[in-house]
Amino acid sequence: MSALGALLGQRLRRDRWQLVLWVGGTALLALAAVGGVQQSYGTEADRQEVLAAVAANPVIMLFRGLPSGAELDAFTLFLILPFLAMMAAFMSSFLAVRHSRMDEELGRAELVAATPAGRTAPLVATVLHGIGANLALAALVAACFAGAGYAPLGSIVSGIAAAAVGLVFLGVGLVAAQLMRTSRGANSLGVWVLLGSFLVCGLGNALGTPSSDLQRIESSWLTWLSPFGWAENARPFADDAWWPLALCAAVAVALTALAFALQRLRDLDGSFIAERAGRLEAPASLGSPLGLVWRLARGSVVGWTVGGLLTGVLATSLGAVIDEIGTKIPAVEELFAALSKGGSLEQGMVVIFFTIVGVLAACAAVQTVTRARQEETHGTAEQVLAAPVGRVRWLWAFLLVGLGAAVAVCAAAVLGAWLGVQAKGADASLAWDALVAGAGQLAAAAVFLVLTALVFVLAPRLTIALGWVLVLVALLLGMFGPLFGLPDWVTNLSPVAVTPVATTDGVDAKGLWWLLGVVAAGGVLALGLMRRRELAAGD
Amino acid sequence: MTTVIRTSDLVKRYGRTRALDGLDLEVDAGQVHGFLGPNGAGKSTTIRILLGLARASSGVASVFDAHPWRDAVALHRRIAYVPGDVSVWPNLSGGEAVDFLARLRGAAHRDPGYRAEKARLVEAFQFDPRKKGRAYSKGNRQKVALIAAFAVPAELYILDEPTSGLDPLMELVFRREVARVRASGATVLLSSHILSEVEQLCDRVSIIRAGRVVESGTLAELRHLTRTEVSFDAGNAADAADGTDASGAADASADTAFAGLPDIHDAAVADGRARFTVDSDRVAGILPALASRNVRGLRIEPPSLEELFLRHYGDEIGDGAASAVEASAGSSHTAREGARR
Repeated sequence: MSALGALLGQRLRRDRWQLVLWVGGTALLALAAVGGVQQSYGTEADRQEVLAAVAANPVIMLFRGLPSGAELDAFTLFLILPFLAMMAAFMSSFLAVRHSRMDEELGRAELVAATPAGRTAPLVATVLHGIGANLALAALVAACFAGAGYAPLGSIVSGIAAAAVGLVFLGVGLVAAQLMRTSRGANSLGVWVLLGSFLVCGLGNALGTPSSDLQRIESSWLTWLSPFGWAENARPFADDAWWPLALCAAVAVALTALAFALQRLRDLDGSFIAERAGRLEAPASLGSPLGLVWRLARGSVVGWTVGGLLTGVLATSLGAVIDEIGTKIPAVEELFAALSKGGSLEQGMVVIFFTIVGVLAACAAVQTVTRARQEETHGTAEQVLAAPVGRVRWLWAFLLVGLGAAVAVCAAAVLGAWLGVQAKGADASLAWDALVAGAGQLAAAAVFLVLTALVFVLAPRLTIALGWVLVLVALLLGMFGPLFGLPDWVTNLSPVAVTPVATTDGVDAKGLWWLLGVVAAGGVLALGLMRRRELAAGD
Repeated sequence: MTTVIRTSDLVKRYGRTRALDGLDLEVDAGQVHGFLGPNGAGKSTTIRILLGLARASSGVASVFDAHPWRDAVALHRRIAYVPGDVSVWPNLSGGEAVDFLARLRGAAHRDPGYRAEKARLVEAFQFDPRKKGRAYSKGNRQKVALIAAFAVPAELYILDEPTSGLDPLMELVFRREVARVRASGATVLLSSHILSEVEQLCDRVSIIRAGRVVESGTLAELRHLTRTEVSFDAGNAADAADGTDASGAADASADTAFAGLPDIHDAAVADGRARFTVDSDRVAGILPALASRNVRGLRIEPPSLEELFLRHYGDEIGDGAASAVEASAGSSHTAREGARR
């Protein structure tokens, strides 16, 4: 028992900040939803309009929960419950892998298993640790809703519904860790199962049957295949049904038992799915720094590009829906008018969604440049630079691939927007608007690219943190600056907010020349300073 | 003979610490030059400067008469490098990493010469090139860099503790490769703290301490600066001198055992053996005296590299054995240091 206590204590200590962020972030999400609903959909009539629009355009349910009535509390959960559950699921799946397969992969599990703790106690400690984290999440989420004046019973059901999905994915993570050889493989298996079941749940709801007043939808059978569907069918505040949550608990127990059984069958460090063997020889493309950077970055670039494509599709296809809701709810209409700055509502939608595209492109670019820093600290940069490769050429490879990534994201978004126009049969000029916005956001993303490169050259230690913080601040200023009523000059500090937009009478270039100037100057400066920069010693 | 690597008064500061403190190093063409010193002495810092990965704070460094920082790319076409702690890309296979590094150094994608050489080395080092980088152990990561370095010919090989993590069999393969490139006329700078490796491979040795070279020369030259240890069975010597009784044996034999031996130091009798040291160039002078005594179990041991090394580092270990070595050698060391300044 004392060994178990020590293992549990060590897990809590390792995770203390990470879990505070996950649990706290989930609670903040709940609070934000409460505030958002009260502000945007203040009257019951507003909410009834929205639910009716959802019933008419069920594709929205892919990104929302299950409608259970227009009451303030039930409506809030319709908007936010899937995401609370998703947070709990990500937290739990990563937690399970971190304390099982990752420990094994790094050789720590071997040290522990050689003590009287053995092979089973660490797994027990991981399960208890995960249960504890989910209980904390449930309690805090419930407290947030109850504190906002929602019914206590429904608040508790809400918290437990999110945590129940978390427990299922604790089990998924544990089983994935047994099956896969590496923590990376186990984490991706967990994420794929998570996203898949999220999508299945949304599809099932979209195919569901609306009630006659369009205020409530009965899920189709598809939803019942997904833990997210069980949580949503608890319908907090409306039904407060416990039995779908019992399904979650049963599956969580079954998966956990399976993980214990699998662990008994295998050696430490062994796995059931062997890692694929690598290539015997490098492909012809892997022969230059540029080839290496592309090889390292291509997986994530593809991910960001798919994100850009989907956002582009939504930009034009959701426009019509929002138009419908917006004309009926004054608060929503005001919001979009503030963001689209004089264009039509549909043009406003394109601008808003392409601001997100800009952020995605910036993420792809920044992530590529931060790889330079990772190569440096990891020690692999040293071997490349000890070969006949100049420092400037080396950094240039990261900049070029980063720029290519941003181009790919923006181009995919424009393509998506065009597809959205075709599918909806909407106004074809929207595709032109999307092209303008996409090109503009590319310039904004390039600004982040060169800024991150400058940080890498001047203050390498800050590269990763500062690179991402810049994107986050720009996102907050650009997206929410107008909402919070910040002065224009503050909002305009964000590159994503000053890109060209198409208006009803032509193209407004706005800050385009500034952006291009910053890109050119920053790029030249970063590469020039790289000439003088030493390689930091690996640590 | 041309000089390939030359540094003079090389200084590297990291904040307030001086990683290099006036380092003078010369490596001639065709040499295998051992660069000896424990971790933190400044070996890797020197190598980073020679590779143009770091800049000297002051002093001069040249490689092939070029500036290692300014002319880095041109120089690197002639250099192969193996770091002491090789990192590989986690999602590249070992074979891919070897190919990539070799291609950066000029190997063509389909060059049959390179492919044959790589295949030979993969075989010799018993390396599995299909595994992903993250699955390799320390020794296998080391093999990635070694194979990439030896598969493409170079004029200068800079090897920074290249065998850490290799088993003795693989170390043998490594030594064979070093011998091969030396036979082809290449120069090798071999940084190491494995003394037997240096003793077997190197023509010259530089010992580095606290950022400066404290000793440099061929092994034979270095041995000249130290004393050779001589020992023989003490009982025999005492018997031969006279028939002292057992009670006073220790004292008497210590006095009598060494009588008539010229220029000897540290004479002592312990565990039944009489030992003393003598300057390495005076060993011949004591042989007649030893012969006339008809000593048994005579052993004359030239100083090992370990002892050379401990003369400069013994004080850092701090236990009795090491300080004894230091005590016997420290005085001459200090005198030489003073003369150099």
